[in-house]
Amino acid sequence: MANLSERTADELRELLDEYGIKHGPIVDSTRSLYEKKLREAMAKAKKPSSDKTYYREEEEEVVTYVTRTPVRAGPAGDSGAYMRSRPEWTEREYQNEASYSSYSRSTPDYRGRDYADDALLSDFRPYTYSTPTSYKSSHLKSPSLNYGDPKSSVASPAPKSSGFVPPWFQVIFFLVVLIFLYIVFSSMESNENIKGIE
Amino acid sequence: MSSTSQKHRNFVAEPMADKPVTALAGIGDVLGGRLEEKGFDKAYVVLGQFLVLKKDEELFLDWMKEACGANSKQAKDCANCLKEWCDSFL
Repeated sequence: MANLSERTADELRELLDEYGIKHGPIVDSTRSLYEKKLREAMAKAKKPSSDKTYYREEEEEVVTYVTRTPVRAGPAGDSGAYMRSRPEWTEREYQNEASYSSYSRSTPDYRGRDYADDALLSDFRPYTYSTPTSYKSSHLKSPSLNYGDPKSSVASPAPKSSGFVPPWFQVIFFLVVLIFLYIVFSSMESNENIKGIE
Repeated sequence: MSSTSQKHRNFVAEPMADKPVTALAGIGDVLGGRLEEKGFDKAYVVLGQFLVLKKDEELFLDWMKEACGANSKQAKDCANCLKEWCDSFL
């Protein structure tokens, strides 16, 4: 593999066409960019993986989601349990991303679902909200989205879309429901008494 | 119109003439300084680079990241700004 910077502009242009890289004229200001692209394409060609630009985007985007989900997954009644499972999940996501980086675009599809499966079993529903959206945005196929949705729609009553309901509101709502149930229960008791008298 | 900044709107409203590189949307003092060090001291020089990359957004984003360390948002804002300017004046 000859040194790219020693090659002529024509040779670079031919190589770019070979790798199917869209390019403009090779001038001083663009040369280093195209050399870098060619090096990446050559490195990628050695590995049996697909587009590396996608891979980089995946990493970027998933990283943002990893940092976001802890905020989103926060609001719930049993915050203690969430606390425990949250780092688990984010850790797993990180591992996911590390393993993703060495695989092609199609395989993360299935990997993601496997890991999301495990995440679902041990964690609570709100996590599945973030999983499908993160995979969706890193342009994987929709199956992961469908997979996530029915379960999340069944499970979570309070958070409608994504952690927009503040925690204090949920606590108050829970207390209101409790009080309501207590009132119902107490009124039922008095009904029974009336029935007994009759 | 609603998603563009004031800087963007100011830039695409008129021919860029000799405006400095910091007049471009997405380019502040820090990025502007780095570009100037590399010789891109005026907006039209960055325009030249954009045109030499055949107005391809992806290539331009890659170049911006390499040349001045711009992040995705900054580079995209700059690319959109130049693209719109070209649509009106080129």
